[in-house]
Amino acid sequence: MASRYDRAITVFSPDGHLFQVEYAQEAVKKGSTAVGIRGTDIVVLGVEKKSVAKLQDERTVRKICALDDHVCMAFAGLTADARVVINRARVECQSHKLTVEDPVTVEYITRFIATLKQKYTQSNGRRPFGISALIVGFDDDGIPRLYQTDPSGTYHAWKANAIGRSAKTVREFLEKNYTEDAIANDNEAIKLAIRALLEVVQSGGKNVELAIIRRNQPLKMFSAKEIELQVAEIEKEKEEAEKKKSKKTT
Amino acid sequence: MAATFFGEVVKAPCRAGTEDQEEEEDERRETAEDREVRRQLARKREVRLFRRQTKTSLEVSLLEKYPCSKFIIAIGNNAVAFLSSFVMNSGVWEEVGCAKLWNEWCRTTDTVHLSPTDAFCVFYHLKSNPSVFGSCPRRNMQVTVLTCRHVTDYKTAESTSSLHSPFLKALKTENFKEPPCCSLLEQPNIVHDLPAAVLSYCQVWKIPAILYLCYTDVMKLDLITVGAFKPVLSSRSLKGLVKNIPQSTEILKKLMTTNEIQSNIYT
Repeated sequence: MASRYDRAITVFSPDGHLFQVEYAQEAVKKGSTAVGIRGTDIVVLGVEKKSVAKLQDERTVRKICALDDHVCMAFAGLTADARVVINRARVECQSHKLTVEDPVTVEYITRFIATLKQKYTQSNGRRPFGISALIVGFDDDGIPRLYQTDPSGTYHAWKANAIGRSAKTVREFLEKNYTEDAIANDNEAIKLAIRALLEVVQSGGKNVELAIIRRNQPLKMFSAKEIELQVAEIEKEKEEAEKKKSKKTT
Repeated sequence: MAATFFGEVVKAPCRAGTEDQEEEEDERRETAEDREVRRQLARKREVRLFRRQTKTSLEVSLLEKYPCSKFIIAIGNNAVAFLSSFVMNSGVWEEVGCAKLWNEWCRTTDTVHLSPTDAFCVFYHLKSNPSVFGSCPRRNMQVTVLTCRHVTDYKTAESTSSLHSPFLKALKTENFKEPPCCSLLEQPNIVHDLPAAVLSYCQVWKIPAILYLCYTDVMKLDLITVGAFKPVLSSRSLKGLVKNIPQSTEILKKLMTTNEIQSNIYT
């Protein structure tokens, strides 16, 4: 049945599916994992970096992009689609600032991106954007926000979420480990993001990229050394926890 | 010719009957050139057996002389990675021969210098227990097939986003009496390609065979997908062949890093 109703985006199947939108969600799963965590005073975005070819310039292979000084996003899926969406969002951020003399709220820009994606699920001859995005930032009121959009054009606010390959495994890890203690301070939130990623990243800490935004501060990308330090701390904590466990059993 | 709403061009049936008949007659006449092309294609499609180290060709009868009690076949990169890191790293496996073939679906037209990623099959046997491997049907032989399919191939009433992939399903022949290591594939239990051919062959020749099929949403080489095959290590066919599991995980990680294919379409 699917093969007759998945040719054109504007066609519903008899049981109400928009197959092209569902297939676009499969395209998102082909991108590497991205995780977002909303702390009390910090928002964290962690992504699995793809290994860069020898002759490729690493700076041009970025999964985390700033949309404005106080908002940034990570995506998973088709690279070219992401570039188009990010460009439109950046223009909208500046246009909003010039018209209304206020920076965009995280919810506003998320709604803009989601509306853009939805338009492409309802036009003839166009296919949906094959990306999901995690959008984080602080509003003027100082409250941290994390939103997730998907190819269908829906968006929701989350406390923590993951997109891309093995997102389900990471989400289950977060459901178990996202507690008030885990986000008690900034460092704990950062460690939670890295631990969630390490569940599914194939080659350990060197393939993890991390970005944070603190209240009233611009986006900060972590260097490879800083990430290594965090990973080393996490491994030490794991060892200590295992030692305690074995002591309890003996 | 007619154009549809979606821009496809569809060949409409021709109402001028005589035009069609002439075209058909031309196609039916086979020239010597056609026969020569067909002969060359048949030669290209021959399956060749040989020893990789010496590059000498191998007769099928030589392979048949090896007796066999267990035949394990892995199809696809994740299944092969599982077998290489978990089974073949314990004990010494000797390469007995390999089979190379080409057909119209292969991406390269060069049939002489096929690379290891092309249609390729290598036969190994365990040095310490040479009865583990073989190629001809024997009644006391047990066949295990490992392969992967994309989760969208799994027929279910639920949506694929609610399935916890990767997961393992089994399909066995009538003569396979042992319990499988995972649940059986539910109806409609349809499998395709080489695993289906192997199972059909075994069912016809009454050979006990089982297919372990891993449904995953990552078709390229992936640690989590390979990990989904672990329950198979407890099966009788693989027990005794697996010794060092932590070392296997290390070997697997190394395989991952050496086999990463660059693609810039998805980030």
